[in-house]
Amino acid sequence: MSMRRHDARTAAGFLAPFGILFALFFLLPIVYAIYQSLFTIERTGALGLGGEEQVFAGFDNYVDALQEPGFVDSLGRVVVFAAIQVPVMIVFALVLALLLETASARGVPFFRTAYFLPFGVPGVIASILWGFLYVPGVSPIVGALDQVGIHVDFLGGDTVLLSIVNIVTWEFVGYNMLVLVAQLQSIDPNLYEAARVDGASGWHIVRHIKLPMVRPAIVLTTVFTIIGTLQLFAEPLILKPVSTSISSHYTPNMAAYNEAFSNNNYHLAAAEAVLLALVAMVLSFGFLRLIGRGGDRR
Amino acid sequence: MIRHARRKISVLVAAALLALSVAACGDGDDDSSTQELKPGQKVTLEFWSWVPGIDKAVDLWNSENPDVQVKLSTITVGTSGGYAKMYSALEAGNAPDLAQVEYQELPSFLLADGVEEITQYGAPDDADKFVDWQWEQVSFGDEVYAIPQASGPMAMFYRQDLFDKWGIEPPTTWTEYEAAAREIREHGAYIGTFPPGNSAWFTALAWQAGARWFGTDGDDWTVDIDNEATRKVAEFWQRLIDEDLVKTEPDFANGWYKDLQEGQIVGWVSAQWGDAILRGNAPKTAGNWRVAPMPQWDDASEFASANWGGSSTALLKGADYPEEALDFAVWLNTDPEAVDLLIQGGYGWPAASDAFSGSVLDRADPFFGGQRYNEVFADADEHIDKSWQWIPTTSQTYEHLNDGFQAAIEGDGTFVDAVEQAQGLTIDDLEKKGLPVAGE
Repeated sequence: MSMRRHDARTAAGFLAPFGILFALFFLLPIVYAIYQSLFTIERTGALGLGGEEQVFAGFDNYVDALQEPGFVDSLGRVVVFAAIQVPVMIVFALVLALLLETASARGVPFFRTAYFLPFGVPGVIASILWGFLYVPGVSPIVGALDQVGIHVDFLGGDTVLLSIVNIVTWEFVGYNMLVLVAQLQSIDPNLYEAARVDGASGWHIVRHIKLPMVRPAIVLTTVFTIIGTLQLFAEPLILKPVSTSISSHYTPNMAAYNEAFSNNNYHLAAAEAVLLALVAMVLSFGFLRLIGRGGDRR
Repeated sequence: MIRHARRKISVLVAAALLALSVAACGDGDDDSSTQELKPGQKVTLEFWSWVPGIDKAVDLWNSENPDVQVKLSTITVGTSGGYAKMYSALEAGNAPDLAQVEYQELPSFLLADGVEEITQYGAPDDADKFVDWQWEQVSFGDEVYAIPQASGPMAMFYRQDLFDKWGIEPPTTWTEYEAAAREIREHGAYIGTFPPGNSAWFTALAWQAGARWFGTDGDDWTVDIDNEATRKVAEFWQRLIDEDLVKTEPDFANGWYKDLQEGQIVGWVSAQWGDAILRGNAPKTAGNWRVAPMPQWDDASEFASANWGGSSTALLKGADYPEEALDFAVWLNTDPEAVDLLIQGGYGWPAASDAFSGSVLDRADPFFGGQRYNEVFADADEHIDKSWQWIPTTSQTYEHLNDGFQAAIEGDGTFVDAVEQAQGLTIDDLEKKGLPVAGE
């Protein structure tokens, strides 16, 4: 009994550094955001410059946020973005991982590093780099396509979202690939040998051994990608000055940022941030539910 | 052994907690009380700005004032993130003593309680050192909130070599501008761009056409964006865009700079500070540019220009040494040497009175083929409707217009729709801030 209490204390001691930092920099800001989202500013005096007071507003900020066409549009936009981004990312990462883990693959360490390298480039820098490749008159790609008679506008209203998909894929596909590779490497090679003895082809091995075995890693990378795409911020913010199709509330995070720091409406911004977190939670847990029900639980 | 390890852990945790609490205290040193300077005491003022060349003026001040040193931090242009930085610093209680604040943003800072009222430190004594209307831009009610720095009287920059080659005269009216745009298109180039993401420019054009968007009526704010003058301007540019007579690419972006360098865009209706933009970004076109007065509306009764951009040096809330900060702000914007350094950086048209004659503005310039081009701007400055005012949500109005223009260019609605929507949304913005709006 006494030993057990002892263990519990030791465990608490080990958990404390994480727990304290988690509470300070994760839980506390969330609680503060929720708190802020429930208040609003009231002003008095001539021209409203007489003074201000913070008053309780209930869910008014949430109603305001949901009535703001720009914010609702931005939510819709990132959901569309996720619908494109998530499959592209996961399929691409999976193909790269499988290629690297093929028995006949050559130069694996080189390619693995090469695919992973863009992850080391910060999102802002990546967006600036790609921005140069998108701007007409500067971009060699646009120039070369123009030469052969193909006129593309990577920054137009119909295309800019796909151009962002491209940047995000470039940045993160290597990271997701690495997670999948790690899982692939943990598969017992005897399974492959047994399958081959039974006459399985390369494709059969992928379909019936590799894919089912990396399923947990696929689920993990999918959830990360869903959350990541909903939080889209740096890429459109950096492309905004060069594209006429990115508004100041192009994504929910940009809308909240703009409300907070350009319009000084911290309370509405907090409500928008909480709403975004809710959407991300619903989609992530919804996805996990869907997977849990549809697939075989191992 | 286990006991020993446990003690180690608790020491570690305590150390971590201590480190955190110390970090949390790091920013707590600025109490709001201002401090009197003791003789021989040295102070350092923090100053945030993005004006090119201002570092040279600050260096000059620092060499002349060893006891009051100014530490300049170069930040992003206000509307591209600089103001966001200031507002969050104010919110966090660690704002700099001085900052660059444009006239149109000053009411927002007032509302956010972000600037010091400087009447109490004797700012009105310096009023006569500045041009009247720019002093008005920093005064609200009976109080003064910043020291004016510069404005942006407008005219038209154009490529004289190409205009001559193609036999085109610089347009004096907007009708002629449209005709010139058509001729220039025949040579594969454009007369200019309509920047759909930069509504400050559109605002200046509406200003020239006689609109007066904002004001106050007693204790209420007034909003009149959707009026005849603004609609006229919106319809004009809509037509030019529909007929592909102007580009619609963003200004101040790489594609636009490239077009200026290569003669794809041969004109720019812009403010005086545009000279530095051209010099810096299209250096190889030196000698080919000239400046002509801003094109006029046919029905205008007298010559009118407009103002695009204008800036002040403000004392942000919580400035520790307001009197020293004010001294610096006045010196920066009136001292002839400092003003010359700022002009060379391209800060705009001096707010200091009588700054034109004898300054570096008042000379023939090889970039403009030896033209004394600032005489055009000096004249423009005399013909601006100087009663223009701003509201505390101006940047949001710009965003609404940007959104509307961008949508219209994508084929969703018209420029007039954009103006109409901006009117309604701007009233909403003010009301959401809890501000009284006349007629609502």
